[in-house]
Amino acid sequence: MITFKLNGKEVRGEEGEYILQVAERCGVEIPTLCYHKALGPAGMCRLCTVEVFDGRKTDFVTACNYPIREGMEVRTKTDAVLEGRKLIVELLLARCPNVPMVKKLAATYGINKPRFKKRDEDCILCGLCVRICERMGNSAISLIGRGVDMKVDTPFHLQTDLCMACGACASVCPTGHIKLKDITKHAIQPIPSEYDMGLIGRKPIYIPYPQAIPKVPAIDRTVCMHFKTGGCKICTEFCSAQAIDHAQEDETVELNVGSIILAPGFEPYDPSGDVTYQYSRFPNVVTSMEFERILSASGPYEAHLVRPSDEKEPGKIAWLQCVGSRNINTCDQGYCSAVCCMYAIKEAVIAKEHSALPLDTAIFFMDMRTYGKDFEKYYNRAKDEIGVRFIRSRIHTIEPVGNTGDLKLVYVTEGGEKKEEVFDMVVLSIGLMPPADAKDLAGRLDIELDRHHFAATRCLSPVETSKPGIYVCGAFQGPKDIPGTVMEASAAANTAMGLLAPVRNSLVKKKEYPVEKEIVGEEPRIGVFVCH
Amino acid sequence: MSKLQSQKNYEVLREQFKKERDPERLVVSLCAGSGCGASGTKEVMKALEKEVLKNGLKGKVEIKATGCHGFCEQGPIVVIYPEGIFYPKVKPEDIPEIVAKTIVNGEVIENKLYKDPLSKKRISKGKDIPFYRQQLRIVFGNNGLIDPNNIDDYISMDGYSALVKALFTMSPEEVISAIKESGLRGRGGGGFPTGIKWETCRKAHGDIRYVMCNADEGDPGAYMDRSLLEGNSHSVLEGMIIGAYAIGSNQGFVYVRNEYPLAVKNLGIGIKQAEEYGLLGKNILGSGFDFTVKISRGGGAFVCGESTALMRSLEGKVGRPRAKYVHTVDKGYRESPSALNNVETWANVPIIINNGPEWYASLGTEKSKGTKVFSLVGKVRNTGLVEVPMGTSLRTIIYDIGGGIPKKKKFKAVQTGGPSGGCIPEDFLDLPVDYERLAEVGSIMGSGGMIVMDQDNCMVDLARYFVDFLKNESCGQCTPCREGITQMSEILTDICEGNGKEGDIELLEELATMIKRFSLCGLGKTAPNSVLTTILYFREEYEAHIRDKKCPAGVCKALFHYEVDEELCNGCHLCALKCPQEAVTGEKKEPHHIDQDKCIKCSICYEACKFDAILIK
Repeated sequence: MITFKLNGKEVRGEEGEYILQVAERCGVEIPTLCYHKALGPAGMCRLCTVEVFDGRKTDFVTACNYPIREGMEVRTKTDAVLEGRKLIVELLLARCPNVPMVKKLAATYGINKPRFKKRDEDCILCGLCVRICERMGNSAISLIGRGVDMKVDTPFHLQTDLCMACGACASVCPTGHIKLKDITKHAIQPIPSEYDMGLIGRKPIYIPYPQAIPKVPAIDRTVCMHFKTGGCKICTEFCSAQAIDHAQEDETVELNVGSIILAPGFEPYDPSGDVTYQYSRFPNVVTSMEFERILSASGPYEAHLVRPSDEKEPGKIAWLQCVGSRNINTCDQGYCSAVCCMYAIKEAVIAKEHSALPLDTAIFFMDMRTYGKDFEKYYNRAKDEIGVRFIRSRIHTIEPVGNTGDLKLVYVTEGGEKKEEVFDMVVLSIGLMPPADAKDLAGRLDIELDRHHFAATRCLSPVETSKPGIYVCGAFQGPKDIPGTVMEASAAANTAMGLLAPVRNSLVKKKEYPVEKEIVGEEPRIGVFVCH
Repeated sequence: MSKLQSQKNYEVLREQFKKERDPERLVVSLCAGSGCGASGTKEVMKALEKEVLKNGLKGKVEIKATGCHGFCEQGPIVVIYPEGIFYPKVKPEDIPEIVAKTIVNGEVIENKLYKDPLSKKRISKGKDIPFYRQQLRIVFGNNGLIDPNNIDDYISMDGYSALVKALFTMSPEEVISAIKESGLRGRGGGGFPTGIKWETCRKAHGDIRYVMCNADEGDPGAYMDRSLLEGNSHSVLEGMIIGAYAIGSNQGFVYVRNEYPLAVKNLGIGIKQAEEYGLLGKNILGSGFDFTVKISRGGGAFVCGESTALMRSLEGKVGRPRAKYVHTVDKGYRESPSALNNVETWANVPIIINNGPEWYASLGTEKSKGTKVFSLVGKVRNTGLVEVPMGTSLRTIIYDIGGGIPKKKKFKAVQTGGPSGGCIPEDFLDLPVDYERLAEVGSIMGSGGMIVMDQDNCMVDLARYFVDFLKNESCGQCTPCREGITQMSEILTDICEGNGKEGDIELLEELATMIKRFSLCGLGKTAPNSVLTTILYFREEYEAHIRDKKCPAGVCKALFHYEVDEELCNGCHLCALKCPQEAVTGEKKEPHHIDQDKCIKCSICYEACKFDAILIK
């Protein structure tokens, strides 16, 4: 433990700590520009300069990298220090007169206009980008040149393979000077957020979805820089609970059970390969799942109804039904996905409610299938009262309208007439498919699948698979909506309980307590019991 | 050549070399340092060899191409021993006469001797020339006597005997205390006590220790270290070996700039020869002490002379300084304790060990001991390398040794310590030169650059020049140094171009103060010295530039013009003949006139006029 004086007050710090660390802890503010908690101090910007008296002489040192010493006296706000800092900020303002962050900083020092010749740079050469890139294990950029010619650059000013486009440099750059496209040869794209259907990016450390259990962040090993280069690990320094363990491995847990209920859910149909709908080409052709996220308050646009290409509020939206359902032409899903008609109506109705502008909604369908009690009423209300248009038709093509982002639907009506209509946005009502690994799962469990690769069950025992003791519920049994799934889950649980009734309590272990003993007459004692 | 296995081996060899070199034998010493080399040593050498052969003198006279003799102004220099007859500015066509008269007959050629510009007398022996007479050349003395590529020469002059003394009669601690007692301080400019540096390094934690020689001499106009490495690399190597022994190091580096090809070459030869004799390498002279030296060639960045930048550069990284809150003697090269000393410091070590610390401490001033080599250049008659005891006054160096200011011009200032040094005005000419006294007047010792300026030097322009140099040589990583020096350069350029405004001097002072305080390394901390001292001592010159838009020295082209003084001009017409622009007109024997539209202010007329009739207005 080292004791020293900070602005006249006695403070303590650990051996090896720097002045800045102790000052931060003691609530003494020292300005910095090139300091970052996760990176080694560089002492480049010199803004954190303070006065240190070591018993013999006074020196000006940088707080970020000056190790604390017993008995020294540190003063962070002397006239000389404040004047020097102000001049440094003025010099930076002369260098970068148009950078908002520098302007703001200068304003806090009461500087509006530098007394020096202005240049038009946007980099303050704090070196954070270079140091963080090194920390990432890459060192794709460095400070090149010397003196007045120093700058941040890649070797030979060429885009480099070394850069993995992780974006760490851009994320720490205080002025916005760093442009990833100048640095990397790789494609610059965010990590698509699975929960938001790829409409926005997410971080390598993320909570998969708001209702996740347990609700703790996970590290995506496929994109985390530490698992790519061995570097980084900055998260460990910021987690105050010290909960991050990069060495953690997936565990296989073996359980002995009496029965199994399969509830793997479904796989949404991927329309990327479907040429008719041009989903991959036009950003304003979205799937119904994506549209759900667009409408959602927790979604990428926070329930503000906009289309992805230009975030413009759409005036007309079309829903196209039976995409990946009742189709054996471009895919192998001959069945009806059961839920699409209802969710399309629901989306159209909610979209109308959400839209700030009057919204025209049209659902292009083959047959309207409103499974469920009174569901038809909802359809009728949407059609007659809310004004959702329903057009029985077959879609021929979707074409772009110039560069507007709008889409022209070409379709054939029931009467065989070819028609065209332009929409701002098209929603594909995608169908439900069995999970991708259904076949593999069935093989391992030795259960039968039906011809569409859903779990095979019999009419009067809809939750029993072909193998006794193995049950199924939800969309793996066949496409169905949430109420149906919940009901089936209860049924599966009950059926499994019925099967296991005869052995109930047979594996229960009784807790053994020590034998009670007679303590009458013994001396009283005090016991301290520590719970853990 | 077999390796020397013991002290005895060495001594036998040394005596043999001494015997081979009869002090009465005929030796022609020819300066082959970079300075004389540029003036044509090679051709003189060829002519000499040819003439010796022609006169049948082969075997009777030894021709020796030596290192720098110091009096570079007078190169190429030929000295003929045993008498020590000194011929300056020798041309190949002079050689036949020199050989025929002086070498064959021992006759002195009067008109080829050095002529003292003050007394107008011819002087035959080097040691009698005022330039040499007032020097004390303990470090540089052997430069003109030994062939830098022949270790035998060095050994014959007791070279490596200090190493033998240290290895066999002294403990490492005794060596350190001898250096401490001698009062030797770093000759690179910092002036840190060498003995304390070694002691701290020896005591620092670490398994491996390094010694290093800083030969990254980058000051414009300074070439002491270069000449020493070129002319007597063994003295530096011997110092390093002794230092390594004292510190407990087995590995050394010489960081030398690649722009010094001859220094690199001669040092390489020196290392090889020392290794062949077993004076470097494993088990030196059978003492059990191992030490090897590697040469690392620097790319020429001025900042790489800073210790931490040098070590980073040695590590193969970009040469940028780091904060020295942890000293390099504790954690330097590769995080190991490292002792870095300048070329001249190392060369002083054998002298101290040989002559004893008391003798060394008797030279110099109270706090600065020994001698210092200065590179005396600029507006002074005798430019060259000058070695004087610490405490010698600037007047002695500039006037007695340097011969004063040529062309009857008036002394104005002397700039010491390279670009980071300050300018010292006439008032302080009697200042004894040592670390403290130079600091008192706002300058530094630096590595020993000394630039003399006369009335024709503009002090604002001078500050601009040095600041401009440092603007490009700053490593660029810390804001005060990079941005501050750049802005100082902008302001000074404005002043020199006539765009100076009120408040510029105060702004320069404000910037300079901050840069000195807030910069990371020594470069930034000393960079404003030239500005601060010129403002301190020559403020009126700044004011003339800013307020009157005049450059009194006639340097800043936008701020003066030449005029002919009609009374002084006698119409000799010389200026008109020399003017490249035909701007000077006039009839012979009539006062001339300068056409200001044509004049490019090249100063040719000003320099040419013998009647001081061209005036700076």
